[in-house]
Amino acid sequence: MSVAVEATDVVKVFGEIHALDGLSFTVSSGEIFGLIGPNGAGKTTALRVVSTLLLPTQGSVKVFGLDVVDKASDVRRIIAYLPEEAGAYRNLSGWEYLEFMAKFNSKNEAEIREMVKEATEITGLGERLKDKTKTYSKGMKRRLLVARALMNKPKLAILDEPTSGLDVLHAYHVRDIIKRYVQEHGVSILLSSHNMLEVEHLCDRVALLNKGKIVAEGKPQELKEKFGSANLEEVFAKVVGLV
Amino acid sequence: MFKGFGNVLVKELKELARDPKILLGMVILPLLMFPVIGSIMSYSIQSAQEKAEKTPLLIVNNDGGNWSELFINILISSSVKVSVENNTVITNDTVLELMSNYNTTQLIEIPTGFSTNMTQHFNVSETIKATLSFYAVFSGSGAFESVGSSVIDNLASEFNRAVAPDAVKTDKSTIIKGEIKEGVDPAALSGLMISQSIALPITIMILLTYSMQIAATSVAMEKEEKTLETLLTLPVDRFAILMGKLSGSIFVSGVGALAYMIGFNFYMGSLTAIYSRAGTSLDLVSLGLVPSLFGYFLLGVSLFVALLSALALAVIISAFAEDVRSAQSVIGYIYPLIFIPSFLLLYLDINSIPFAIRIILYAIPYSHPILASKAVIMSDYWTPTLGIIYVAAFTLLVMYVASRLFATEKILTAKLKFRGLRKRGRTPAE
Repeated sequence: MSVAVEATDVVKVFGEIHALDGLSFTVSSGEIFGLIGPNGAGKTTALRVVSTLLLPTQGSVKVFGLDVVDKASDVRRIIAYLPEEAGAYRNLSGWEYLEFMAKFNSKNEAEIREMVKEATEITGLGERLKDKTKTYSKGMKRRLLVARALMNKPKLAILDEPTSGLDVLHAYHVRDIIKRYVQEHGVSILLSSHNMLEVEHLCDRVALLNKGKIVAEGKPQELKEKFGSANLEEVFAKVVGLV
Repeated sequence: MFKGFGNVLVKELKELARDPKILLGMVILPLLMFPVIGSIMSYSIQSAQEKAEKTPLLIVNNDGGNWSELFINILISSSVKVSVENNTVITNDTVLELMSNYNTTQLIEIPTGFSTNMTQHFNVSETIKATLSFYAVFSGSGAFESVGSSVIDNLASEFNRAVAPDAVKTDKSTIIKGEIKEGVDPAALSGLMISQSIALPITIMILLTYSMQIAATSVAMEKEEKTLETLLTLPVDRFAILMGKLSGSIFVSGVGALAYMIGFNFYMGSLTAIYSRAGTSLDLVSLGLVPSLFGYFLLGVSLFVALLSALALAVIISAFAEDVRSAQSVIGYIYPLIFIPSFLLLYLDINSIPFAIRIILYAIPYSHPILASKAVIMSDYWTPTLGIIYVAAFTLLVMYVASRLFATEKILTAKLKFRGLRKRGRTPAE
């Protein structure tokens, strides 16, 4: 199995703050890998470095063997990034938004149509895609954006808190999309979440982040067994010495 | 009914007073802006008066009688610097030649028969009056152009007081673009031009501020909604993203400038018509005081590049604001750069302003459409052309800086802050 992401001793400094402090992890191809941790742990910073938005102060990150600093343009061709709590263009319809984004990934009209069709099915929004996105609920918007991130079948989808703030039904739908896409298309997923219970059921492997460092890594079941805990929340609490 | 009012009020005042943007925008800026405008205006009025008094007044004596000699002697004894030329027929060519020779812009002709009329005023009938002809060059530059005309009125009044009330009246003519326009009072013309030019700076102010707000909101919205973050991870050149945003703004500028020119043309036409119907002799079209087609073109281009520079600046500044509210507040700090030149150039000739402030005004891109609007009326095409070149260069520089910044992670991490006033604001790790 090839390596989708290989982060080695990544440090990211903002002024005097070490947002990432020697972060290392690997994501295998076709795997759902979760970075989990409390607010301020460095999850978003890590995802932004992988998605070429931020430069690492030290260390290296490779996506399918491509360095995110030296080969940023090539990396951008094979990834899709979904920021936390992102919106869509308020005055475009959902359909127009998908078409606009698809045009960045292909110049071929047939391919663009195919991508939009694919995304339309993923969203499950039906006729509502004709409405302006400003009329969408938070859950509908998130479904639209997740569909956008997956519609071109990227080799790696980087999803920052994909279900944050969603109700049970919308969160279930989004998780279902992610799982289905990995199974059907072999897309690799790197996601972040502070909802450790949710991640347990979604991710193949997880890394627990605290203060910019990984404090534990493995399959959710293995981690629970290793630390004798009922869930990942308890694992995290034990690892950081809260209990 | 008012239970809790005091509590809410105190909270509200605390929040507002602690917001540095409100403190700067609502208190400090007006406190600085109006004294600055007032001081410059006061200086300019004073310098216009001094200039009018110091400008040599050329007397063409075509009368040669006793009364004309007396009039000249009274002028010489006043503070006015007087030069005298005898027996010259007043025509377009001679007026311009004489003014050029004596380095002046004001001329009084004492016509043939002045002394005869004065004598008849005293001996025959008080209804017979002697006439002086006054000629002044109109440069269309500012509100205080009428000062010269009022100095002449004062001199005539002084002479009347010395000899007899209402013995002398003045016929005023204005030299516009090298041509004598008989019966056109320079002061009245200046007043008309000012009343007409009020619309220009105001409309430019509205157009600039409105389009800057639109551009700033558009970019800040991309940041707030994180659509910019998404765009930056797509296989697209970052310069293309910037140019796409700017091109949208360029389109808005083009439409704005075009709408402005259509409106301005209509305004000029309707205003001239009103003055014509009122029976006044001031008809700006026949006086040649409306821009030519080329003048309109230059004014349109000048406005377009100024709008473009404003939009480019708005795009850059707002790209570094955290959200829409911050972007709009920060854009507000550029407004004095639009308002101050507009107010000043509305009333003042740029050449009457102190040198250092003049340089600052020239450096502000938003002064140039206003300068251009005055210049094209006087068929001065160099002022708008140079202004267009300068503003275009300024815009290119701003766009270059923007492209450099868009190429780095600063576009996401940089945040405009009020250092010292607000302690929080470091880039969060999450």
